[in-house]
Amino acid sequence: MNRTVLALLLRPAPGQNSVLVLPVVAFGIVTTLVLTVVGGAQAFWRWTDPEAALYQALAAIALVLLVVPLMSLGGAAARLSARRRDERLSTLRLLGVSPAGVTFATVAESVLVAGAGAIAGVLGHIALSPLIGLIPFRGEALGVGAVLLPPWGMLAVVGGVLVLAAASAVIGLRRVVISPLGVRTRTEPSKVHWIRAVIAVGAIAVSFALIKVFPAVAELFVTIIVVALLFAACLAVLNLMGPWVLKVSASRQLKRAETPERLLASRIVLDSPKAAWRQVGGIAMASFMAVFAGTGVALLDTLSGADLSAADLALADDIRTGLIITLIGSFLMVAASVGVNQASDVLDQRELHRSLHHLGVPLETVDRARRRAIMSPLLVTAIGSALVAAVLVFPLVGLALITAPVSVFTIALVVAVGIGVVWASTWATRPLLRGAFRTA
Amino acid sequence: MNIPVIEAHALIKNFGTTRALAGVDLAIHRGESVAIMGASGSGKTTLLHVLAGITAPDAGSAVFRPAEGAAIEVTALGESARSRLRRERFGFVFQQGLLIPELTAVENVALASMINGVRRQDAVQHAASWLAALGLSGMEDRRIGELSGGQAQRVAIARAQATGAEVVFADEPTGALDSRTSAEVMDALLWSTTGQGRTLVVVTHDADVAARCTHTIAVRDGRILGSAVNA
Repeated sequence: MNRTVLALLLRPAPGQNSVLVLPVVAFGIVTTLVLTVVGGAQAFWRWTDPEAALYQALAAIALVLLVVPLMSLGGAAARLSARRRDERLSTLRLLGVSPAGVTFATVAESVLVAGAGAIAGVLGHIALSPLIGLIPFRGEALGVGAVLLPPWGMLAVVGGVLVLAAASAVIGLRRVVISPLGVRTRTEPSKVHWIRAVIAVGAIAVSFALIKVFPAVAELFVTIIVVALLFAACLAVLNLMGPWVLKVSASRQLKRAETPERLLASRIVLDSPKAAWRQVGGIAMASFMAVFAGTGVALLDTLSGADLSAADLALADDIRTGLIITLIGSFLMVAASVGVNQASDVLDQRELHRSLHHLGVPLETVDRARRRAIMSPLLVTAIGSALVAAVLVFPLVGLALITAPVSVFTIALVVAVGIGVVWASTWATRPLLRGAFRTA
Repeated sequence: MNIPVIEAHALIKNFGTTRALAGVDLAIHRGESVAIMGASGSGKTTLLHVLAGITAPDAGSAVFRPAEGAAIEVTALGESARSRLRRERFGFVFQQGLLIPELTAVENVALASMINGVRRQDAVQHAASWLAALGLSGMEDRRIGELSGGQAQRVAIARAQATGAEVVFADEPTGALDSRTSAEVMDALLWSTTGQGRTLVVVTHDADVAARCTHTIAVRDGRILGSAVNA
């Protein structure tokens, strides 16, 4: 493919700026969050004193927790970027451009879009670092120097984002290369088996038993590690069980649906419970964490009153700070992920939305349906996962969860803020939907 | 004398510097099937959009006279009133069907009635009867991806009829179909509209489709070149 053709392909079509700008923004958010999270964690890896190992272990656990919503956000950004190409590239195939030519054009465009976003993301990281540097650990602020990634670190993250974009573009394009007509048909909804629930319940039961046993037989440090590993296992279990729970919940709602919004919303979830879970799964995990965090805060409050050394109190404070930062990071990623996913869906279904406008279907009907398709699974998962976490934490801290008002307040506040942030994300894409409804 | 169900006068519509409609006068009578033919860019789809209240013209007027009640000047209505008119009085069939992929066939048809306030159970029952009448019995619970192009288009025809639309507007309804399926879809479209005393306005490139209609209107450069009554 010569340079002239490539330049023509990469040129944004008139009126399509939002389709180009949105992926850039999405990749920008991904890059900023990755750089900031890794930058924050590296601050602990520079410590060399005897207590550093514990901080490093906890930072690694926080990183693991943030990886899931971060990957979800990265995938959403890549899918959004892929949306604008399909039609034009199918046409190119019909015109006789080779599969290699189509792939090259796709990767080139994806990398350019992701690259622009990544540069914006680096600037975002640099701008945020002074703020992150103010976070206190061991009684003093981390400092800008500690949380700002070195240039090679930034380059590595930017490279990773570009690879993600290129790989996603190639995978997403396979159908266009295989078939020039590249018509996507959804013949049947994705299936989610009930066996997921059985595995999940079994895993929770094993975790419950281990958490009850370990504090009695092991040292504090070992217990922390085991509890953290079990926590990660529980997140995996949530991922396994989540789609099945959403399917059951949406099926029940479908039976009762009396309004077009409810009918549409439940069918959207049933169409792909896994996709619905990908959108809200991060909040379920944040909710799960919120119970842990809330319990932890309650426990720390109790410990503060006991006869603890200054070092122990500082450690307790730092764990609390870390938990809160991890929660905030999770919510930011989930909010961004929902916004990006919604933008992708609106762009993907633009023709359908326009036809619905022609039929006289009110914008409000479609808007309420899509928001319900997010919020309903969100409420189910947020409350459900909080309950699962409560079951796990209950034997460890006894009645502290119920009796400590600070704990209950923290849990309620974190879940409410998370739900509110996601709700706000769904409103953020309303102008895009309105644009799709606008008459051509 | 038969009063036109749709009447347009001196319609003008510009898109930037392009004049899509350059003073169109038109009268369509109840029970007629009218094919609007013309090359790409001739203004035929714009004309359909203006008559149906999808697009507002820059000048001129279009009037819809329902079987019962007063005449409605479509071009004088605001956006939300035009949406309501399309939802309650008109039906639409598009080239690609453009059905909601997540819904089943019967739900796609029933949704239009549900938006108009009909109870789900009644809407589904009514939708199922339309699907059966169009030869789709037993396919009510299939998703759109499980239907052939012709079947999906018949679901779209049922959707256009389920609300009791007096006028059905079809934009290249057979454009994506082979000739045999195209003939079957036209059979279904004509039976469900003019066959029930309703009116059909269809935009098409296909001379065979136009020949099936009672009237043909030729459009070029935003003007009506002429109209003919088909044998």
